[in-house]
Amino acid sequence: MAQSSALPAEQYNYDIVRKFTIMAMVWAVLGMSVGVYIASELAWPFLNYDIPQLTFGRLRPVHTTLVIFGFGGSALFATSYYVVQRTCQARLAFPWLAEFTFWGWTGGVALGALTYVSGITQGREYAEFEWPLDIAITLVWVSYFAVYVETLRRRSQPHIYVANWFYLAFILAVALLHIFNNLAVPVSLTKSYSLFAGVQDAMTQWWYGHNAVGFFLTAAFLGMMYYFVPKQAGRPVYSYRLSIIHFWALIFLYMWAGGHHLHWTSLPDWVSTLAATFSIILLMPSWGGMINGIMTLSGAWDKLRSDPIMLFLITSLSFYGMSTFEGPLMSLKSVNALSHYTDWTVGHVHSGALGWVALVSFGSFYHLIPRLWDTKMYSEKLIYIHFWLATIGIVLYITSLWVAGIGQGLMLRSFDDYGNLAYTFIETVEFMHTPYVWRALGGAFFVAGVLVMVYNMAMTLRAAGRERVDEEARLAAKLAKA
Amino acid sequence: MSDPKQNAQQKPGAVQTTGHAWDGDLQEYSNPLPRWWLWCFYGTVLFSVLYWIYYPSWPVGESWLKGVGTVNYTVTDKKTNQVQEQEYRWNTRSLLAADLTEAANNEQRKAMLAKVKAAGYDQIVKDPKMMEFVRSVGKGLFGDNCAACHGRGGQGVVGMYPNLTDNDWLWGGGMDRIHETLVQGRKGFMPAFGAALKPEQLDDVAEYVLTLSNEAKPGEAADRGKEIFHGPVGGCYYCHGADGKGIPSQGAANLTDKIWAIADVPAQKTLQDKKAVLKTFITNGVNNTRIMPAWKGRLNDDDIKLLAVYVHQLGGAQ
Repeated sequence: MAQSSALPAEQYNYDIVRKFTIMAMVWAVLGMSVGVYIASELAWPFLNYDIPQLTFGRLRPVHTTLVIFGFGGSALFATSYYVVQRTCQARLAFPWLAEFTFWGWTGGVALGALTYVSGITQGREYAEFEWPLDIAITLVWVSYFAVYVETLRRRSQPHIYVANWFYLAFILAVALLHIFNNLAVPVSLTKSYSLFAGVQDAMTQWWYGHNAVGFFLTAAFLGMMYYFVPKQAGRPVYSYRLSIIHFWALIFLYMWAGGHHLHWTSLPDWVSTLAATFSIILLMPSWGGMINGIMTLSGAWDKLRSDPIMLFLITSLSFYGMSTFEGPLMSLKSVNALSHYTDWTVGHVHSGALGWVALVSFGSFYHLIPRLWDTKMYSEKLIYIHFWLATIGIVLYITSLWVAGIGQGLMLRSFDDYGNLAYTFIETVEFMHTPYVWRALGGAFFVAGVLVMVYNMAMTLRAAGRERVDEEARLAAKLAKA
Repeated sequence: MSDPKQNAQQKPGAVQTTGHAWDGDLQEYSNPLPRWWLWCFYGTVLFSVLYWIYYPSWPVGESWLKGVGTVNYTVTDKKTNQVQEQEYRWNTRSLLAADLTEAANNEQRKAMLAKVKAAGYDQIVKDPKMMEFVRSVGKGLFGDNCAACHGRGGQGVVGMYPNLTDNDWLWGGGMDRIHETLVQGRKGFMPAFGAALKPEQLDDVAEYVLTLSNEAKPGEAADRGKEIFHGPVGGCYYCHGADGKGIPSQGAANLTDKIWAIADVPAQKTLQDKKAVLKTFITNGVNNTRIMPAWKGRLNDDDIKLLAVYVHQLGGAQ
């Protein structure tokens, strides 16, 4: 491989990557703290304090938006801008437009959170932004697409690396989903009505909602995985053929599966059946990414003992494998009859969101940060501590919600000898109090881990700043002598 | 995987990469698809085909494949009144019908319901078997319809929703009265005396009312209050009765016990505070704030009867 003689920091636009990396961590702290707060509200409802802005209904979209779009989105911008430059050996195209994506995205997420707190929302899950913000986000996204595609076009490599397929599929699919799901008739600056009605509206929303998971939280983060896992392991990706097959299978199949969010509703039975089966067929294509990631480490398993970054990456793939197994299982009609509307669903989402999305991002950031700031991580021990806090947090979180969700599901379907319901709804709520406490505790563990990472990162950046000053002083001294 | 040649190929180092490299050292092996992965993939496709055959699936023209799955449940022929089991195609509508008929046809439920319908309130209360049935149905009915205000155990909220477990009933605690309350609902009313009485008079009335339940000692102020209570100026006795024990037909509270539904007297420590909450209450009265909805039409007659017995047995039955 012909390596450029220029320093990477000069050859590539790292400035934009640094900005997004820092913002990702800011959103992580804010969004996950809000998550712990609303989890505590469920366990101890007095925490609402009868203040509308603090109620679960308003803070929940703040939590989801800050973690998915704020943290996840910024992590994807950061890593995709880094990966596309390094694997194409080309500097990021349209630097001013890339700068616009940063300020536009950051501003959009912040304004979104503020509008939700004030009660301005479309009421569409994960698409709560009202129409002016939707339009602004569309502009940012089109700019992102332009920057990304033009950088790919300017590549000095004959082939496009697999990570870029995933990132590009994510950018294209999210544009499509965002635009169609948000088609609406505005009636004022802060209120609009969806263009669709009834079950079609629900179907559109869950076509969006499910593929937001599929393309935003899965495909894009697989792109991240395909760069950072082989890079960190220093080994080739396990199978090129598997990466092609599972890429196209994933892209094709995800779009069909959204209906499983609407099992046992007014959705026609045949739509529900198709959604269930496409979710089942999706299992192996999803696992393709996990196999390719984990097998990449085959022959170098000892790295798990010596490299905490590898620990993050491989654990994230394990959680990815677990939640992509659990998802198809829950999409079966009969399983869904128990799980639907219970916290099993919430636990499932978090095993993917915390276990997969967040862990793979943390691992990638630990790889990225020293390279972006041209230094070493402040403390490897703190990376281990972060890893264990996060893992304990996830395990507490998902097991307590298995108990809460499956327990409530079973209670709601148990009858006495007379055929009467054995439990009232409120009894199931009382039952869930204890698991809710454990869930909030799990979330607190996870946030504690993030705070450790922020501290580690801040100390690293401070040291990098000092090194740069020393370097400059040495240069100046040399020049003065000369 | 059993092919020895393949195994040899999969040894690290022995497998060829695709020959491309990115960012220095990023490469890809040209390993074949893992066999187990491929077979599992085919397995999920086969599973889905079976699923499509069983459940309603692919759209065809204006309709869709109905699936071979079936659901059985009993239907009553409207003309001949004959009950017979029939087979229907699997869909969510027939599943719901099956669940509903199964619940309605529960033999034990049918037998007990007939017994309770035929029995009078006195008989039901004395029969442990029937009471067991009342509690089985009532728990769900009360939990889903009443508990939101009265609490899961019927304990209520002082100042807002009456406690159903004590012995104090604003509208009467007999079975018939409870039944009437459920059927037609209730609307509490007491006039506001803030304009009719002077502040000193309000103080005196409050003091007198507190003597009725031995919260305050008789004295000059109480005597003045007594005059207002029983005279034309206040006229409190019209509803609360000459003995202060209340008149259930008016929904007027008994003032001689220590149970307070609205003004939270027991929560106040000093006599001054007790008088103050009572005075505030007499000043403002009750108007359009204490409404129990009517359940006729929302619950069927059987359910209302069962619920009346259930509420009656919660604790404070008369």
